[in-house]
This record gives sequence, structure tokens and C-alpha cells, in this order.
Amino acid sequence: MAKEKIYFQSMHELENNSILKEHAEKEFVNEVSTNEFLGNEENLEGNSTSRRDFLKFLGFSTAAATIAACETPVQHAIPYVVKPEEVIPGIANWYASAYFDGHEYASVLVKTREGRPINIKGNTDAPYGSGLSPRIQGSVLSLYDSKRLTAPMKDGAATDWNSAMADVKTKLDQFAGSNEKVVFMTSTLISPSSKVLIEEFKAKYSNFEHVTYDAVSHSAMLEANALSFGKRVMPTYRFDKADVIVSLAADFLQDWTELDHRKQFAKGRNADTGMMSRHYQFESNMSLTGSNADFRHPVKASQQGMIAVAIYNAIAKKAGQPTLTVNLDSKLNAQIEKAANDLWKAKGKSLVVAGSSNVALQLVVNGINELLSNYGSTISISTASHLKQGDDAAVNALIKDMKGGKVAAIMMHQVNPMYTLANSADFAAGLKKVKLSVSFSGKADETASECQYILPNNHFFESWNDAMPIDGFYSLAQPTIAPLFDTKQWQDVFLAWMGSEMDFYSYIKNNWKANVLGLASWSSALHDGFFSSAVEATEMTFNADLNKYAQELKKEASSAKGTELTFYTKSGIGIGTHANNPWLQELPDPISRTTWDNYLTMSVADAKANGFANPMQSNGGVNGNLAKLSLNGAEVIVPVLIQPGQKAGTVGLAFGYGRMNEGKAADNVGVNAFPFYQNFSNTQYNVSVELVDGEHEFAMTQVASTMMGRDKIVRESTLEEFIANPKVSNAPMTLATHKGIQPLSKVTLWENHERDVHFWNLSIDLTKCTGCSACVVACHAENNVPVVGKEEVRKSRDMHWLRIDRYYSSDTTKENATADAGYEGVGGAMDMFLEMEIPSETPEVVFQPVMCQHCNNAPCETVCPVAATSHSMEGLNHMAYNRCIGTRYCANNCPYKVRRFNWFQYSDNNKFDFNMNDDLGKMVLNPDVVVRSRGVMEKCTMCVHMLQRAKLDAKKEGRQLKDGDALTACAAACDTGAMVFGDALDKDSNLSKVKEGPRSYFLLEEVGTNPSVVYQTKVRNK
Amino acid sequence: MTNLKSLRLFFVSLLFTGLTLVLGTSELKAQDVANGADLYKANCASCHKLDKKMVGPALAGITERREQEWLLSWIRNSQDLIKAGDEQAVAIFEEYNSIPMSAFMHFKDEQILDILAYIENPPVVVKPGAEAGGVEEVVEAQGSSTSTLFIAILILLVSLYAVVKAKNALKSASDEEVVSLHVALKRWLKANPGVMIVLVVLVVIGGIKVTWAGVFDTVGMAQGYQPEQPIAFSHKIHAGENGIDCNYCHSSARHSKTSGIPSANVCMNCHTYINEGTQTGTTEINKIYEAVGFDPETRTYIEGYEKKPIKWIKIHNLPDLVYFNHSQHVNAGNQECQTCHGAIEEMDVVEQHSPLTMGWCIDCHRETEVDTDNPYYEHMNENWADKFNGEKITVEKIGGTECGKCHY
Repeated sequence: MAKEKIYFQSMHELENNSILKEHAEKEFVNEVSTNEFLGNEENLEGNSTSRRDFLKFLGFSTAAATIAACETPVQHAIPYVVKPEEVIPGIANWYASAYFDGHEYASVLVKTREGRPINIKGNTDAPYGSGLSPRIQGSVLSLYDSKRLTAPMKDGAATDWNSAMADVKTKLDQFAGSNEKVVFMTSTLISPSSKVLIEEFKAKYSNFEHVTYDAVSHSAMLEANALSFGKRVMPTYRFDKADVIVSLAADFLQDWTELDHRKQFAKGRNADTGMMSRHYQFESNMSLTGSNADFRHPVKASQQGMIAVAIYNAIAKKAGQPTLTVNLDSKLNAQIEKAANDLWKAKGKSLVVAGSSNVALQLVVNGINELLSNYGSTISISTASHLKQGDDAAVNALIKDMKGGKVAAIMMHQVNPMYTLANSADFAAGLKKVKLSVSFSGKADETASECQYILPNNHFFESWNDAMPIDGFYSLAQPTIAPLFDTKQWQDVFLAWMGSEMDFYSYIKNNWKANVLGLASWSSALHDGFFSSAVEATEMTFNADLNKYAQELKKEASSAKGTELTFYTKSGIGIGTHANNPWLQELPDPISRTTWDNYLTMSVADAKANGFANPMQSNGGVNGNLAKLSLNGAEVIVPVLIQPGQKAGTVGLAFGYGRMNEGKAADNVGVNAFPFYQNFSNTQYNVSVELVDGEHEFAMTQVASTMMGRDKIVRESTLEEFIANPKVSNAPMTLATHKGIQPLSKVTLWENHERDVHFWNLSIDLTKCTGCSACVVACHAENNVPVVGKEEVRKSRDMHWLRIDRYYSSDTTKENATADAGYEGVGGAMDMFLEMEIPSETPEVVFQPVMCQHCNNAPCETVCPVAATSHSMEGLNHMAYNRCIGTRYCANNCPYKVRRFNWFQYSDNNKFDFNMNDDLGKMVLNPDVVVRSRGVMEKCTMCVHMLQRAKLDAKKEGRQLKDGDALTACAAACDTGAMVFGDALDKDSNLSKVKEGPRSYFLLEEVGTNPSVVYQTKVRNK
Repeated sequence: MTNLKSLRLFFVSLLFTGLTLVLGTSELKAQDVANGADLYKANCASCHKLDKKMVGPALAGITERREQEWLLSWIRNSQDLIKAGDEQAVAIFEEYNSIPMSAFMHFKDEQILDILAYIENPPVVVKPGAEAGGVEEVVEAQGSSTSTLFIAILILLVSLYAVVKAKNALKSASDEEVVSLHVALKRWLKANPGVMIVLVVLVVIGGIKVTWAGVFDTVGMAQGYQPEQPIAFSHKIHAGENGIDCNYCHSSARHSKTSGIPSANVCMNCHTYINEGTQTGTTEINKIYEAVGFDPETRTYIEGYEKKPIKWIKIHNLPDLVYFNHSQHVNAGNQECQTCHGAIEEMDVVEQHSPLTMGWCIDCHRETEVDTDNPYYEHMNENWADKFNGEKITVEKIGGTECGKCHY
């Protein structure tokens, strides 16, 4: 048996909050809001409706409904006049493409129905980039964003392409001879053809300059590599090949540099074979990566440099190399020593990464990796990554030049400096002095609306493009729909300005044929979506004087004063590119479970010391005190959220919120963190956090539930324990009966189901699940799950069919605390309770995706008075919406709380003004799944429509179903392999093998529901 | 139909013979018009019309415009004539875009003359109105079955009334007590309360039944729905008389959930050549041309034409809450289209044949056997052999009536 642990879902549960306890007994936290119409007594008394009137209304409405029902509305069927050959109505077409928004890359497959892109998934054939983040998963909705520009704009008024392009061209020609610059400012560009195009443009206009600006800078890493290896590049990492990983606040499971890291990391975490990497994380905020670590140590950002130095010294000592002349005094010595020992043992198969924007720290980290001979095995400099090319110095120089009147024209693509620059006021001042400003933004965002011309770019679903995210891997993006509006892609505009007759498609094709493909076929590259070529390994020698940088780090550590602010990006919103996507706004943050907000994360100790609290309200919602955050003139009022695991003395704030004029979902949600992102440094020292009056209402999921003392929901063990006894912490449950102790399966009132067609099962591996939440968004897109908005989420009426529960745990129990503290008596008790607060300081985290468990003995089915929910021969729990009368008995009887009630009509309802309330947004709906109406219960169907289609395809082709033919949307979106779906009757299926394994267990198996969803225990390598 | 045609031809030829006999001027009197008609349809009609230009010129009056000798040699091999430099031949060749006419070397003089005879004596055009009348008649006949019953009951009641009246008149004549009909009925019912109860029960049950059938069974049901379509397309002509396979137009029925209303370009596969229908002449076919932008005069597509989609009226409307897949039934389930759609090949105007209610679906799923020969069922068959023991394996038995198979 593993150590006795305490688990808690929120600080309120840990503190045993009285309101929470009260709510735990109820199915719905909020009563039906009858108060809205019965609460107003004055109104009721003033109402003169008599009994007779009531009967009249009743009679009239019955008659009206009857008459209205007599007339069936005429429906039309309008076929194509000339049907495109490749379209069969009702059958989806998939196109291989590539996604890049200046920030993240993915090789994708786009699903189109009758010419409309409606879904997106990773291209698993591609050797790179098949893992999607929730943002990319949701990007399909941004195509149907009603705020997109429908025509080019000049000075805020719509114009036409011909005149706008001619105007700009005339001015560019005018500037051509002058010594003032014409600047093209873009985010990182990874399109090789676009780069060739820019070079050609540069050849034509000698005063043309290209500046690369990334909103979240990685310049420090690029500079460090330039100093270490003489090459300003980002290396590629292989987390799957590393046995020991030490991360200094690098959130590599999220969007640190490349999304593929998540997949690689999961690949190296195989509990069953014992081949499992060990992961240390030193960080101040509780990041997604930190929550997946085997050892997570909360440290201040200012101390990370010293930790790097300490690790360097420890390893250098073992390697017989000179150590750095810096002394370290830290309580973490033991942990650092342990990490360094592990790293040294895994020499050549280890990895140290850092998320800091401090060049010195990155250099020391490079030094550690060099000592460990990791270059060439887990890190490759010769296969460079091109996803981060931003140059902070160039951006600063540009702003200076703009203000100095040295820039005649600025053109911008995929950047929004007015929003993302800390010194956006300087940029605005500069922009006023520029003679011509052009934005290629698809929307009139903060920057574009300040520009003279907006030449709206196509959405990436409407564009041709190519990409080279890493050396040796090329991919192609093809349009999957004709431009919805009067937009053009910027490359076509450039080609027109250069006087070329060619479109960008031909341009890419020519470029690929000349420079990429060699003898390979263009058509097959386009079909596959990618093309790989070999990369020659080049020798690089590490060469840097680390002593100097170690001194710098020491200086930083000792001079850092006051509260430290560290920025992070959230799974849903990222840097705010997709802020107007309601799916992503409503996606709960994997750690804090908060939707529709960003906030200042604060440690328990700091909150207590400064009077911040998160009081729970009687309606189950959580409030937060407001803080005034200020730093060098930047100031904002922001709500505070107490975050277990946050290092005392530090606060965290997420980018991407506080957008203006971006759209109805994005505007006025949260606060903008970029004004604090000064000097492109992701840590700011000496920040003032001041308690101010007022409270903020958060909309959090999972807060209103407790575990009711059931600690077998999450089962975990350490790798060592697991290898010694695979059934550790997962012993089969037994029940005491009059016949003695019996296994659970023997004690049941239910008859067994015969299974002879299929038996669909889903296995979820808690060890591999990183909590990334891509599955939640995939479920939204596939199943037309409605967005309900912040108010409703606060009332615990979120509609997510699939939620990811997050459990904190700590092995600090009352007994441990007493023993550790060694105190006795009255004074001892005080100290013991002080120790007890530690659970919230260094909690371990488990993510547990929970959807309908498709119980084979389903409690919901027995209580439905109208048999709207019933069991299938294939092990699914079916839900017939049209039969449901909304008694909600099923939800009340569900032990997993996975049923969702449609309190309102969420489509065509102005009160829920999200994508289902406008014609454009509705185009994303999946035509194979019904949009549910008010008053019915809904829940995960295990994507029954996808299973039915897979079966039908097999029948039509006259073959047996193969393992992997049938998938659920969540399992398809899961790139870590945590979710395995299949037929349990097929003994050779992947699922069957996993299900038979020693780590399998059912959620709440003591209830005897016998679910079709099976979990695999969490194993930590510690 | 063929009888009618030959009859018509017979009369036409009779008329023709009569005319020629009277006038006695035509040289073609000995020719067989019926044979000419057959030859014309088989060999000439794809490019020529009598009254209109098509690929080639309109042929009416050709015997007056050209010499017979010239016609004979032109029809045998026009290219020879052109090469020989015949002025007329070259002129006509150029006028019609230099498209060479097929050579008919195998034709005998007799046969060509038969064709020319047919051209000179075209068939009498039957007005479409005449046949439409026939259809109406059928509708009336169908409607009469219920009214006959009503009339019968009415006659019965009237005669009953008359009998009672007569009886009362007789009674009053013989000074007996006169009892009016309703008083008599009342008395009789009082004497027989059992009958009264039965009657009341019958009325109540009948009322419920009528309400049930009238309200609940038919709400949202549209069996027999037969809307007028924007183009009077006849399945009877296309699928019935011409025997075009359903899948030719509804090609996605085998692949997809929808059967697919054919796009206008599918119509054009045939209607590029067939510009005139038997029932409606050119009016309906012209609507296709209107949609796709085809000029029947020049026989070309109009460039830059803004295509006009045809707004068909959907007849079979399933509610959104149910998922139905054509390919599941047609392809995997081997069902005929007619099972649900009725004898579509006999319908001039399509109507909804089946009720499309859930009960109707379920009934069929309970009856219909699964095609267990499909290799998909291979590993299941082993289990089923024991489980069902030779019983019929219906769709229901493998889960075909579960909610989530159609509702999601």
C-alpha cells in the first residue's frame, strides 16, 4: 500500500468549508431560479390576471399550438447546379494541411462537410507536429468568427482591393528612392516560400526590412545558443530519449517551444515496462508541466539561476571539471543534489531545459547539457527548430526608428504590438510618425484599427502556405474552403505589388520543385501534407565563459527584491490569438479549473499575510479579492486566486486576456498582462500587490464538489512500489457478505449482459494524461456541445461532456505533521496545524478525465421514468434526447456527475450570444449530431455516431472491423496515448491488452456500476 | 402505348395514302412512312429535328429545298460530296460549324426514300392536355370510395325516414297513436338500458379513437405529401418508361446518408440532346437550361452565366432528432428503394409513400433479416450459431431497435 495521502480538489475542500459541505449533498448547487418570476411580490400583486384570464390564455395557447401544428413548413432541398466531383453530400472529405499562427505549429487533417471545414485533427502519418493543443483543435471555429473583416479598409472605412493595393503600391514606389525604411513586421515566419518571396521583394525595394517579433520572446535562448555555438538557433529536443529531465520553469508540456514535446514526454513514461523517465521541475507558478513532474520544487524565479549553477557545479565535480566560483546557500541543496545525481547517472540520456528569459541562465543550462554530453543525443543543434525567431533588439530598434521618423512605411502580419508590447504607447507614438501603415490582420484588432490600411489576410483554412518548423521537415497547407469574405492572402498581395502574374500557389510549387522536393512528387507531398528530407549532422562546439554568467546570476539572485511576478500562458487562450473563441474561453484552466478569466495566482501564505481570500458564496460560486498590481507605471486591478503550489513571495499572471475590440467572447474578459512584460522578461521583480476594495466573481468548475471521503477515486503509486508489486494501491475490492469476503463482481443484483457484437471500452491512463485539455475541445467540436457563458458556469451549469478533474494530494497528514514537527501539548498543536498548511504548498497533482462511464449496470437507466436512457448491446449507455422529459432523476442518481442538463436553449438565443447564435458560427456544427434543445439531459455518447460510421464503412466494404477504425473524438485528439479506445471483445486490440493490465481500475467500483471506461493508475517515478 | 402508337401511325398512313391518292402528285407514294419513322428515330433524331435546328439543320421541307439525287448522295456520304466541291454541300457544311455528318453507306435507296417520306409526312402532335385529363379522372375515382359510403348511408336514412313517415301517415289515417321517430327511439332506449350503455361506450371509445388517430397519429406525419415541384419532373417517364437506374441520378444513396438530389449537370447528361418532353414539351426542360445556363438554340453553355440552383421541395422530411443513413439500408442492408418509397417508377408526381414514423421503422427492423454473409459479421456468426440456433437473425436481434442507433 502506498503512503496514506490526503487528496483535495480545492482549497475549500482542504479547509472543510461549510458551504461546500452543504452543497455536496445536492445534485445541483443552485435551485431552479423561480425567484426570477415569483420573487418580485410587488409585481405579482400588481398583476390583474384572474382565474378566468388564465383559462382564456390556456385555451388560446392550446388552440394556437394546435393550429400552428397543422401546417407543416415546406422544406427545400437545393442541390448543386454543377456538383464538384470530389463532394458527395453527407460524406466528409479530409485534407492534409499545416497550421501555424506565428506561435504554434501542427501537421493537421481538416475535415470538411459539403465544403465546410468543421473539424481538425493531427496528421498522425507525419513524423512531426501531429499533436494538437486545445487552441489548434478549436481554431476551426475562428474561421467562422463574425468579427472577421469582410473587405479591405482604408482609414476605418471599407474600400476595394484594386484601389487599396494601388494606393499602397504608389506610396511604396515613392519611398523606394528615399533613405527612409519600409518595414515588414511579422511574427516568426516558418514558410520557406514566403521567405524567398520576402527576399525577392527586398531585392526590388532596397529600403525594405523584415523584422521578426514574437509576442512572447524566446530571444534569450537564441542569444545563448549564439554565444555557446555561434549559431542563433533554437535546438530540437528529444524528451522521449531522456531518462532524467530537469526543467527550470520551462512549461514544455504546454506551449514552451514545440507542441511535440508533450508527445515525446509521454512516450518516455511507460510504467508497465518500467521504462519511465524521471522529471524534476523547479518553478514558481504551478504550471501544467510542474503538475506532471515527479518532483516539483516551488522556487522563486530569481533563485533559478543559482539552482542552475548548483546543478552545474555538482555535475562538474563528478565529471572532474572546474566548478563555477559561486557559492550557494539554499534549503534546496538536498533536492538539487538528488537531481544532479540522477542527471549524472543518466549522462547522455538526460535533459536540462529552462524557460527563463535570462541569457546567463540559458548559457549555464547549455553548459550543464554539454557536461552531460546531451548534445547529439537528446538535444540537436544541427536539426534546428524554427518556431521561435523573434528578435527583441530589432523590435526595440524599430520602435526607436519609428519615433525618430526614420520609417516611412510599416506593414504588419500576424503581430499585434499595440496589445502585446509592454511599451505599446511608444509604438503608438511611432506609428503616428509613419507615413504609411498597413496591417494584414484578418480582424480590426488593437493594432490594425490604428493602421491606415487593413488588407485582411485569408484565414489559414482559406490559404496556400508551406512550413518548415524544424530542419528536414516540410509541410504544405492547402485551402479547404474558398475565402468566405473579400480577403486575400498577403503573399498574393506582395506578388501583385512585385508585378508578378503568379499566384502564391504556383509560387510555392515552383519553389518546392526547385529547392525542396528534388525528384519527389509534388502531388504526393500535397496529398500527404508533408515532405521529409535528411539533415546532415554538423559538429558544434560549446564555447562560453560560464564564470562570468554565474556571477551575473548570483547578482540577480541577491538583488531581486519584493514580490516576483512570473507570466504564463493558459492551455485555452495562449497568447490571445484565439481569444474570441468561446470554446477556449470556456475551457477550464487545467490547474485552477477557472473559465473565462485570468487572475493573479498567489500562494496560501501570501494570501493569508496580506488579507486575500477566495470566499465561497452561498450559491456555490467562488469570489476573489481584488489586488492593485503595479510596476514601473503599469497598473491594473486584478482578482486574486489562491493557488496551491505557488511559491510564497511570487505571483503569476496569464497572457492573452483583456482584449479590446476582438469580438464578443474576448472583449473585457480578464486583464492584459503584457504591459507588465517589460523588457521581454518573463519575470518581473519588486512588483507591488495591494489589496483594494471589491470582489471578483470567478466561474470555476469542480469547486462545488467534494470527494465525500472517497479516496480511491485516484489511485497512485511510485514506480518502485509498482515494480515490486504491480497491484500496489490497486488491490481488487472485496465486500463482506454473509457468505464471507467476496470479490466485488460476485455481489450484484444485476444480470450480466451478453456481449457478442462489440463491446466498446475506453481506457484512460492517469500516468500519461498531462491534463492538456485538447480532448475537451475536440469533444466540443465533434458533438456540438454548447457554450453556456461565465454566469452559467458559475452556477455549475457547464455543459462539458468531458471534464478533466484535477486532484491535489499531499502526504502530509495530521499524524505526519505531528511526528515531523515533534511537538506535543498545546503549543505543539499550534505548530502541528502550521505544518498542516504545507499540503497546499507543495501538492502533487493528478489529472483525471471523466466522461460518462457507460456503466453496464447503470444507475441512471433504472430511474428514468420514460426510458429515455437505456443500455445497448455494445456496452454504451444511450440517451434519446427527444424522449427525455427533463426530470433529472438520472443526473441525481449518477455517481460520476457526468450528466448535463440543458437549462436553456443555447442556440438562437440572444442571452447566449456565442457561436450558435449567429449564422456564421453555426457553420461549424457537426451535421451528424443533433443540437439539443432546452429541458433535456445530455451526456457523452462515446461518439456513437463515429462508431456507427466505422461499422457501416466496414459493412459496405465487406470486411471485419479493424482495431483503430472506431475512435472517439477524445481518443483521437489524445496525442500522448493516455486514451485508448477499442473493442474489448477483440482480444488482439490495443484496448484489450491495456484493460487486462495490472493498473486497471474502475472509478468508484465499490458502487458496482461496472463501467465501460477503465482507468490506469498513476505511477510516479520517485 | 405501343398499340396506340401503331394505331396512330396506321391512321396517319391511311390519311397520307388517302391524300396521295386524291392529289396523285407525290413521287413518294410507294414509300413506307412507318419504316421511315423507325429509321429516322434510330439514325437521324440525335442530330436533327423536323422543325428546329439541332446539330444539323431542321429537316421539314427538305425534299422541296433539295434535289432527290443530291439528298441520296449527301446522306450516303456527305464528305465525298464536299470533297468533290459541290457548292451546296460545302455551304451547308460550313454553316453548321464544319461538323461532318455521319455516312450511311449501307442505306439502300428505298430506305432513304422511306425516311424522306416520313419527313414529308410528320406525325400528328398530340396535345399534352389530353393526357392530363386522364390523371384527374383517376384522382376522382379514388376520392369516390368514401363518398359512395356516405351516399349509401344517406339514402338509407332518407328511406328510413320515408318509411316511418309513411307508417305514421297510415297510423294517423287509422286513428292510431302517432309516435314521432325520436320519441319512439327514446322509448325503445328506455326499455333497453343495456343498449344505451353500449351506445355510450361506443361513442366514447369512438371519440377517443378518432381523436387519437386524428391528433396524435398524424401530428408531424405527412404520408401522401405530394407537393408541386418547381420542375414537373416525372419519375414515371424516367425511371419507369425509360428504365433509368435510380442510382444514376441518386448516386450518393450507395455511399452516403443522403440519397442526393441530382445536380443539374446530371440532367444535362441526357438533356443536352433531349430538348423536348413527351408530356410538357420544352417548358420543363428549359428550366434545367435556365439553371445551368445552356442555350438550346446554339447548343452551347453561356459563358459567365450566373447559375440558378433549383429549389426542389423536400418530400421526405425526417426530424433532426433522428439519424437516417441511405447507404446503411441500400448498400449494407440490400434494401430496394421501393421498400420505403413505394412504386416510384409509376409516379408522375412523387408522394411520400410511407408514414416515416418510428413505429414504421421499428416494425421493419423487427422483420428484416441481417445479411450475415457480409464478412463484417464473420466472428459474430460463430456466437450466433449457438445463440439463435437457426432462428431468423433480424436487425432487432443485433441491437437494431436500440435508441442510440438512430438518436444521437
